[in-house]
Amino acid sequence: MEANATVERGLRAARRSPGAAVVWAVAAVLLLDLLAKLVGVSMGPFETPWFALWFGGDVPISEVVGLAWSGVVIGAVIGLASIGLSLTYSILNFANFAHGDYLTVGAFSGWAVTYVIAGIGGLLALTETVVNAVTGLGQSRAGDVDLVSLVLLRTPPLDAGANIWLSPVAIVVGLVVAVAMTVVVALVLDRFVYRPMRDADGISLLIASIGVAFMLRYLVAFVFGNSRRIVTSTEQLPSMNVAEAVTDALPFLGPARGSIIIDLHEVTLVVVAAVLMFGLHILLQQTKLGKAMRAMADNRALAQVTGIPTERVIKSTWLIGAGLTGAAGYLLVLSQGGLGFQTGWLLLLLIFAAVIMGGIGSIYGAIAGGLVIGLASRMSLIWLQGDLSSFARPTAFALMILILLFRPSGIFGGVKTA
Amino acid sequence: MSEHASREAALPDGEEGILAVRDLDAGYGDLQVLSGVDLDVRDGEYVTIVGPNGAGKSTVMKSIFGLTTYMGGAITFQETPIHELPPEEIIHEGIGYVPQNENVFAGLSVRENLEMGAYILDHVPEDQIRAVYDRFPILEERSGQKAGSLSGGQQQMLAMGRALMLDPDLLMLDEPSAGLAPDLVDEMFDRIDRINDDGTSVLMVEQNAKEALRRCDRGYVLVNGENSYMDDGDALLADEEVRQEFLGG
Repeated sequence: MEANATVERGLRAARRSPGAAVVWAVAAVLLLDLLAKLVGVSMGPFETPWFALWFGGDVPISEVVGLAWSGVVIGAVIGLASIGLSLTYSILNFANFAHGDYLTVGAFSGWAVTYVIAGIGGLLALTETVVNAVTGLGQSRAGDVDLVSLVLLRTPPLDAGANIWLSPVAIVVGLVVAVAMTVVVALVLDRFVYRPMRDADGISLLIASIGVAFMLRYLVAFVFGNSRRIVTSTEQLPSMNVAEAVTDALPFLGPARGSIIIDLHEVTLVVVAAVLMFGLHILLQQTKLGKAMRAMADNRALAQVTGIPTERVIKSTWLIGAGLTGAAGYLLVLSQGGLGFQTGWLLLLLIFAAVIMGGIGSIYGAIAGGLVIGLASRMSLIWLQGDLSSFARPTAFALMILILLFRPSGIFGGVKTA
Repeated sequence: MSEHASREAALPDGEEGILAVRDLDAGYGDLQVLSGVDLDVRDGEYVTIVGPNGAGKSTVMKSIFGLTTYMGGAITFQETPIHELPPEEIIHEGIGYVPQNENVFAGLSVRENLEMGAYILDHVPEDQIRAVYDRFPILEERSGQKAGSLSGGQQQMLAMGRALMLDPDLLMLDEPSAGLAPDLVDEMFDRIDRINDDGTSVLMVEQNAKEALRRCDRGYVLVNGENSYMDDGDALLADEEVRQEFLGG
């Protein structure tokens, strides 16, 4: 009886919104399929006119967890970078298309500094070199290294590239510089481009930002060249096979199937991103500046009437948004290794997807959206094997469209920066 | 009290109020809305601006608060010229302003809204928050709630509370009864009376002109962006022309 009633209710809901029913059905099939894959049940092939279809299969749980982890890693970067875009959207009321290139600027400036420090042999050696060069006393260690090709990221330090194990100081200083440089660039651009058009409409600002995007991107290409390069090395980088660790700790699970490799760069990324996000949360909820930012996102005219110094808050918004974006750029490169002048631009679409999915203007939504986008683009690889794997990115966008169809104002719909 | 409203817009004997608007021209961008407006509010006085829709009543308040394009004339508040100051500095001078619409930060809690009202101070003035809570006890009950979830009347109280956070010498209210249920309108006017009784000067624009004129000390009649005359509230209420044109006979 009970079951009948449930089926009845389900059918009625399906008739009311057939679209939702289809989506739920597909989701259910995928979930069942995933479970079947995990326990190793395989059915099929079912012949269709175009290709043969299998249900279930054999996917070790380690692969699923591994994909989920890499989804979290990329999701953390997207989430971090989305915050800045979301902040400028809600407080300045425009979609900043140069946001991705802010990220590129952060990545390049941070890594250039990391290269120099790692190349010369640490911060102490760098200080010594600078002091010697300025005073003219002592030997210059820089004589042994080609400073120009280090700054321009042409020849890697330590023969292979920097990493957090061999040159932790270089990485930390690089991260700080990435944040600082992005902030400086954002403030300068605001002063000379966006501030003169503060009262312009969103479309004009958007188009101006596209101009800024091109300018930044090709400035970076001009200085650093247009080749994509690998800047990190995995030499001696600590990593851990979580699958083995788990089966070692819990022997009754049997021997490990497959492996889940987590390296220190990924852990660094996730930890730093989480700390920064938590810090931002505290700032927005507990501090006077954060409350003023939320107030301005809510109602700019009223903020002005209330005596909130709007220009100062806007400056802080750029500072925080750009700082987080610069950090995201640096950390992205730390975990992925590759860096090119289009790095941020290519990521921008995913960042926009995260912001839109989370509900434009909501920073918590942007963080959640980033995680969903990251997870979707990686987890979909469970089904998209072989040639199909290039559809992983489109899958993330498809999911975004689905979410927007059912929740037009985003996951955190309607909730502004609060 | 005169039988007819005097056709004068200035106070007798060249007297000046704590707020003195003289021959003010103002508008938005290139569009001039106000021309030659004179207006005074004495210390502790309760003044209302009445007039037909589109006469520029709200624009007068916005201009005093530095939110329009200044085109000429002078505004002084407690002897300081304020007509070229930005809003955040006018707040420093001691004027609080409650706009008509969207006058609370919907996403912030009630308490956070009040804190924003005292943004220009270095520290949150707890005693002032206490005073606002004492005046509007419902706000204390709802202090952690998002302002957007309050009823219209509660939002109006919160907006006033926010404007009172700096204990201003002059409180400007734009249509405080707009959107309120009829039984709440009287209560709102009572609260404004009490704020005025406690020594704060009040300048108000009201659509509910009869009630506003009944309660205020003086009223200004504004037509087409120019003020034609002023008189005691009761005198304006009794004035045949005013009755005909703005009070529905």
